[in-house]
Amino acid sequence: MKRRPLIIKNQRWLDFLFHRPNIHLASFQTISNYPRIWIISILILAVTSLSPLVMATFINNRLIHKSVDSELVLQTDRVTSNAKRSMRFFLEERLNALRFIVNELPYYSLIDNEHLTKILSNLKLGFGGFTDLSIIDADGSQEAYAGPFNLEGKNYKTQSWFIQSIERDNFISEVFTGYRDIPHIIIAVRSQTAYGRHFILRATLDTQRLMDMLSSYKTNVHTDIFLLNRSGIIQTPSTIFGKVFTPAPIDIPAFSDATQVITPENNEENAYVIGYSYIVTEAVTTPFILMVHKKKSDVMGTWLNLGKTFNWIIGFCCLVMMVIITLVSTFMVNQLYLADQAKAETMIKMEQSQQLACIGQLSAGIAHEINNPLALINETAGYLKDLYQYTGEHRSDKEITELLDDILEAVSRCGTITSQLLGFVRQFDVQISSVDVEKLINGILSFHQKETEYKGIHVTTAIAPNVPAIETDRGKLQQILLNLINNAFQAIEANGCLDIMLSHLPPKKISIEIKDTGCGIPEENLKRIHEPFFSTKKEKRGTGLGLSITYGLVKKLQGAIRVESSEGIGTIFTVTLPVKMQKEEKA
Amino acid sequence: MKQIDILIIDDETKFADMLGRRLSLRGVTCHACYDGQSGLDWIRSNPGAATLILLDLKLPDIYGTQVLAHIKEIDPALPVFIITGHGTREDETACLAMGASKFFLKPVNIDQLTTLLNHARGEGK
Repeated sequence: MKRRPLIIKNQRWLDFLFHRPNIHLASFQTISNYPRIWIISILILAVTSLSPLVMATFINNRLIHKSVDSELVLQTDRVTSNAKRSMRFFLEERLNALRFIVNELPYYSLIDNEHLTKILSNLKLGFGGFTDLSIIDADGSQEAYAGPFNLEGKNYKTQSWFIQSIERDNFISEVFTGYRDIPHIIIAVRSQTAYGRHFILRATLDTQRLMDMLSSYKTNVHTDIFLLNRSGIIQTPSTIFGKVFTPAPIDIPAFSDATQVITPENNEENAYVIGYSYIVTEAVTTPFILMVHKKKSDVMGTWLNLGKTFNWIIGFCCLVMMVIITLVSTFMVNQLYLADQAKAETMIKMEQSQQLACIGQLSAGIAHEINNPLALINETAGYLKDLYQYTGEHRSDKEITELLDDILEAVSRCGTITSQLLGFVRQFDVQISSVDVEKLINGILSFHQKETEYKGIHVTTAIAPNVPAIETDRGKLQQILLNLINNAFQAIEANGCLDIMLSHLPPKKISIEIKDTGCGIPEENLKRIHEPFFSTKKEKRGTGLGLSITYGLVKKLQGAIRVESSEGIGTIFTVTLPVKMQKEEKA
Repeated sequence: MKQIDILIIDDETKFADMLGRRLSLRGVTCHACYDGQSGLDWIRSNPGAATLILLDLKLPDIYGTQVLAHIKEIDPALPVFIITGHGTREDETACLAMGASKFFLKPVNIDQLTTLLNHARGEGK
């Protein structure tokens, strides 16, 4: 059997996918469904090698997201706490300053406008953020005023902030516009005159100062810090929710003195967290809720981007691995397929040769068994003929002698068949030796010398120079040439020609051409001449085994035989043989 | 001791008889033995009496190659022709190696046989 080349061509890679089931081969193949094996192997390899990678990536992603989330919460918490502390301090500081003023100074000096203006300028100098000061008595009428607006003589009795502040010691209002039409905050401190009447020291605070302070905590554009009042109205401008005095489209968080961070359940794209704290000073609760709104995606962009890059790399690796897995699987399965195919072919060859051997043994057995009775018939008929010939009786009875001759001839034909059948069996063992083909041909031709002379056949042999002696089985080669030359002699009529040409086909072959000018073989018979028992020479005592045996012998000698023929012109048999016959492995 | 031309050792009695009769008609004296042992006994008791031995391989008691070996022990110069219906190539090579002169497959041509006998006679003389 020819070995397959080690380097497998591309188109051979997918042989197993396109293989057509062959009933003869299938019975010898181990695996029948190669595409299935291929898919299973790809799946198993892919799952075992990719799943740890995918799982690790998944876990890594979860971890990144978790740490991003907790980091975000932490950051928000920190910013909120800091902002709250500043805010509280801001308000407390101013409240305490006012408290100090009302407790320290007598009422009469407070209602002195000049004095009040001086106090205002001192407060502006010391603390900042104050816009104006005024003293309002228990009835709501303004007793004194220092500041840029012309508010003297105003009565605040109906104003809600006044109603609230006259009832308690300290008061901090929401942001509102009031008479002056400018957003401001009121801080009011209640005290008593020497006569026991309540009065209020009211200061208005510039909201700009507050906004500046809050915006100083905005670390980046994705953070929004603003104040809400307890009914959800925006108190300082928000970059997300808009202007002052518009209601914020978010739920008002539950009251908490301490900083709280809420992580709403929301989609990844616009994920955010909210930190908040109610602002409560030691002396008074304010209406303010400090809100910090932080967007997740942008704040943690670096981290998330890193995660994304990592995912891309893993995805690419998976792709590369899949390609490799597919290639390796394809290669391996195809190798398996080729090996299996080769095995099946070998098995079939073995089976065929075993069948041949069986047929051989059977025919040999029959031939042997027939030989004995045949010999008996031969001798008996021979003896009968002898009796006629030697005793002289019935010598004149030509018919009986002729009939006996017919029997003897039939026996002789049977003998030829049995010996050829035995020859069939003998094909199976090969003995290699060095053979000089030229000598062999000449030897065979010498058998036919008489026939040559008798029929006037012109025989030529053309031997090319430097034809090497070949290593082959002498007996079988002799048989081959004998059969072919015999055939040729039978075909050639009187005065015909027989040409034998021996040539070397470098480097490893020789060819023997036997050309006769005989009757030729009709085209329809050409295909059948190697079939056993096919013969057109019925009348000439052919067994039909000659060429079949020759064909088998040539195959056995690892050669090839070719026949060209044209009816009425002649036939050329070309036998090609290897110079050096390879020893067969014994089956 | 009676001098004969051919000793036939073959278990096919009818074949042996018929061959013997045909040879007799051609002036060849024959004796037939129907198994290996009797054949060997005949040779031992009549040393030098036969010119040629025709030996079958498939005998009922001893296989032909062994008979051949015994004959060659008794008389190495005695020509032995193997005539068999069952000859394999191994048998042929073995017999020729053991000193058999010819190896024929049945059926055999009587004229060929007499010609060879005449050769053997000539060599014997």
